[in-house]
Amino acid sequence: MKIDQPFAIICLLLLISIVPGIACGYATPESIVAAGKVYISGIDYDPGSFFTGDTGTVTVYVTNGNSNQSVVVNHATIGDTYIRLKSNPYDSSANIGPLQTRTFVFSVAADALEGTYYPTFSLSFRDADSLYYRLVTKVDNTPLELTVVDKPDAYTQDKKKTVYMQVANPRNNMVKNVILDLSGDGADFSPSRVFVGNLGPGEKIPVNFSVTPNKVTPLKLTLNYDNGDNPHRVSMELPVIFGTDKKAANPVISNVQVKNEAGIWHVTGDVNNAGLETANTVMVTSLPPAIPQDPYKVYVVGALKTDDFGSFEVTLTAENTDTIPIKLSYKDADGNVYDSIQDVKISPAAITARNSTSGLPVIPITIGIALLVLFVGGWILYLKRNKK
Amino acid sequence: MNLSITDILFRPDAFFGTMMNEKESLKIPALIVLAGSIVAAAYGYLIGGLTAKMMASTVPGIETIITISTIGGALVGTFIFWILWAGIIYALSFAFKGLGSFSRMLQVVGYGYLPQILGSVITLIAATQYIPKITVPTLSSAAMQDPAMIEQTMKAFMHDPAMLELTQITSLITIVFLLWSANIWIFGAKHARQLSPRDSALCVGIPVVLYVLYLIYNIGVM
Repeated sequence: MKIDQPFAIICLLLLISIVPGIACGYATPESIVAAGKVYISGIDYDPGSFFTGDTGTVTVYVTNGNSNQSVVVNHATIGDTYIRLKSNPYDSSANIGPLQTRTFVFSVAADALEGTYYPTFSLSFRDADSLYYRLVTKVDNTPLELTVVDKPDAYTQDKKKTVYMQVANPRNNMVKNVILDLSGDGADFSPSRVFVGNLGPGEKIPVNFSVTPNKVTPLKLTLNYDNGDNPHRVSMELPVIFGTDKKAANPVISNVQVKNEAGIWHVTGDVNNAGLETANTVMVTSLPPAIPQDPYKVYVVGALKTDDFGSFEVTLTAENTDTIPIKLSYKDADGNVYDSIQDVKISPAAITARNSTSGLPVIPITIGIALLVLFVGGWILYLKRNKK
Repeated sequence: MNLSITDILFRPDAFFGTMMNEKESLKIPALIVLAGSIVAAAYGYLIGGLTAKMMASTVPGIETIITISTIGGALVGTFIFWILWAGIIYALSFAFKGLGSFSRMLQVVGYGYLPQILGSVITLIAATQYIPKITVPTLSSAAMQDPAMIEQTMKAFMHDPAMLELTQITSLITIVFLLWSANIWIFGAKHARQLSPRDSALCVGIPVVLYVLYLIYNIGVM
């Protein structure tokens, strides 16, 4: 075989040029000392702690502590049996300048059960041995806590009630995009979705919503959140049972008095709140067959706290009846209107009682006597004149 | 007879002086009393309506019975009162040796009823204003079995402020126009029974004053 002479010369020169390169990859005392000053300056986990099955990233910060010498790294990787590397290791050479920091980001998956794990980060130097660093990675399956702070004792059909909840984060890392979703067959929610946002470790936040059930149904509460980029959820069910709210306001009419003035019935009395909650906008009025009349067609008593009372007066006319229905209405904290009706007897005695204090009608009697005196006196005078 | 209504009202002496020369006739007096009774019946209809309302729920159909009886009572009652007044004056005039027939007395008393028609009209107008304001208590069937309850209800009805005012006004109007009638009756009795003015005034005045005092007493005790 005949070899082309110029080609042979080029190959020889290339071989000659490789020899010094190989000679430079060898460890020297200086390069080993320099590699010794390279250290791990920081580690970031996202998420801060993993649920079993979560994926995330581990960011390792490598700093060259030499003030006047670069180091060359050519391989970096991380992982062990439980914290599995999902991305490729770093296989290309890279130079880290004096006092410079280089970031190595790895995607990992936590396949382990709950616990603390120690995957190893390894970094190979071109001119020295490798650097090994044990990371601390936590797998924590503690979910967010969704708790009921206060809820109605019982619900009333088509009446809005407020439920007071709390979302707490018992984990030691922040979770993102916390959203409470509410659903239930035959129930209206306001709002039906509550966005909480980020929730730091140990933080808690109140979440309130109103529900208007139109039938007995369980309310489904789902708390969605992201641990890193991994979605998770917590669910809870609240039963809706119709019944009497033991703590509800209970305005009661008492001390009712009825009197009649100039054909207008005046019904006066007191309204006492015998319940445990405040009765708002308490109003009293009369219902047919009574016809409300001015000045008090409707009497607004206002808000009545527990054991508080207020007086009322309603004016009305009523014919062909001896009882009149008096309607008492109030609103709860959610604006639901509650009515109660109480019959009040309008007895003839009420009219008598009023007039018994009227006294003697002096003016008509005086006029009557004056007319009589005028008549008799006039005739006496006439007869005297006529006699003369 | 060439005399007018104004003569009866304002010149009764002259009116009856002329009338005595003419034949006795009860036609015009009866018409005057009839007119008075019709107005009284209208008033009775209004007041009877209230009573009927009070008892409406006790017995079915009682409203009609009450309304008819109050209208009938007012119509007949006015004629009875006409005869009664004439009878009393006539009877008292015997004490003063009065002469003249009872029909003549009926005639003059009938003419004397004319002011009371005016009074009844004014009363009717007042009633139309006051009756809508009256609150009528109702009697239930059970209450009808209890006399005390009926009495209390009636008292309440009569003591209604609007009813009280109406009764007082009605009484005062009645007094005014009764005294006016009495004035006419005195002159009428003078001519009809040939009495002196003094005797005639006593014959008419005594029952009228007693009746007026009774009316005043009623105002006081209501």
